[in-house]
Amino acid sequence: MRTFCSFVIFVIALALLNLRPEKRAFAETTAQEQTQQTGQQPPPATSQPAPPQQAPPLAPAAPVHVGPVVVLDPGHGGTDSGARGGTGAIEKDIVLQYAHVVRSELEREGFRVVLTRDDDSNPSYDDRAAMANTYHDVVFVSLHISTTGTVGTARAYYYRFASAPAGPPAISETTTAPNAPPAASLLVWEQAQQPYVEGSRRLADALQGELAQRFAGSPITTSGVAIRELRSVAAPAVAVELSSVSVADPNSLSAMAAPLAAAIARGLQVFRSTGSTPEN
Amino acid sequence: MPRNIKFALSILGIAVLIGLVSLRGMHERIQHLSENPKSEDQARREVLAPPISTPTDVKVQAKIFWAAGADRVAPVMVQLSLSADAVQRSKQVLEELISSPPTPEQRTLPADATILGFYILSDGTAIADFSDALVTEMPSGISSETMAVDSIAQTLESNVASLHRLKILIHGQEVETLAGHIDLTGFFDLNPVPPQSPAPAQGTASPPAPNSAAAPASNPQRH
Repeated sequence: MRTFCSFVIFVIALALLNLRPEKRAFAETTAQEQTQQTGQQPPPATSQPAPPQQAPPLAPAAPVHVGPVVVLDPGHGGTDSGARGGTGAIEKDIVLQYAHVVRSELEREGFRVVLTRDDDSNPSYDDRAAMANTYHDVVFVSLHISTTGTVGTARAYYYRFASAPAGPPAISETTTAPNAPPAASLLVWEQAQQPYVEGSRRLADALQGELAQRFAGSPITTSGVAIRELRSVAAPAVAVELSSVSVADPNSLSAMAAPLAAAIARGLQVFRSTGSTPEN
Repeated sequence: MPRNIKFALSILGIAVLIGLVSLRGMHERIQHLSENPKSEDQARREVLAPPISTPTDVKVQAKIFWAAGADRVAPVMVQLSLSADAVQRSKQVLEELISSPPTPEQRTLPADATILGFYILSDGTAIADFSDALVTEMPSGISSETMAVDSIAQTLESNVASLHRLKILIHGQEVETLAGHIDLTGFFDLNPVPPQSPAPAQGTASPPAPNSAAAPASNPQRH
């Protein structure tokens, strides 16, 4: 019996000894995780066991989605090169680089960003619009570089339809307020942008204000133009065009990426802060 | 020296002289052609599209809209003989727009573009049919394409009062865009007809005032 008791005590003692390193390891792991999340140094290790639960870190571990989904559309792609400069600059490649820089900036600001293309593909205009139309709270920003124009300037455009022709209205009669989309009715695909034109104009104004500050010589007003890519987007939609691929130094095109990203990020914040809704 | 050899040598000499003269002329001609390249479209236009003149032509001050800076068009007063017939008059002003910009920088449409046809429907819709060069040689870009369409629309609007809308076709076909941006599937306003009844409850029934003189002309309306 004495032997049996000694054996049991020995086994319990062994078990306790095995548990201690596990606790220490757990405490160290927790401290490491906190360091990664908060960027602070862990407290010095003590012989005291770590508390079973610690308060969650205050620093944001991941961006919080504070705005709408932003569908970024690098124009052209594939066999459609877009504008070509004398120095070999090709619009489709440059706008894709811009889209990556803008995406990083927007994600840092907490936006969720979706690209219509992330490689040298060329989705159709309707595919690009359809990508935006799958989200509810979304804005669409198409990126372009022109062949001509004053180098180093930038313009934001929104779609502007012609005056309505004679005949039945294109939008369902359930529309009740100007510039408000029909709540539960169908939109004509070719005119899906029509109920959102006012929102698009406000978005273009917000972006243009920021672009004009960062690209000297840019206009302070926006223009309504019939841009095919925007016509079927059922959300606020703009196209931003920089000038131009005809630069003498191709590096100057890369240098435009950062101010463009900052202007779009700030412009979207301004747009959101001025009472935007998904509809307007 | 035998007589026949003398004869052969003199003929040879004359031939060399003629050859030298012709070579020089040919060289000058080649140089002239290389300095003034003329595309197939331009050459065809000279043959197929001589200046349009009709019995009703009257000299007037026409307003032709060419580029005025990097992103807008502005009218230039040009004395032209214009027909009383709206179709012929439209062709005449468009021909002038394409062929005679005051400076190369003021050009808004490719030099090779030609007007293949022009039609006016009873409701005032103008249909302008251009050659492929209008799209294939157009510099890609929202601003350049906007200026191109604005120059066409505003030139027609200012010189042919009976037109209300414009449709642009390329070689008889509807195309999606001019050069990747501007929507050509719809219509462009020209002297829009004022609404005769209260506007329907549509978002853009009363569009905001344009920000540029060119804006109203670049807004197609899809049917």
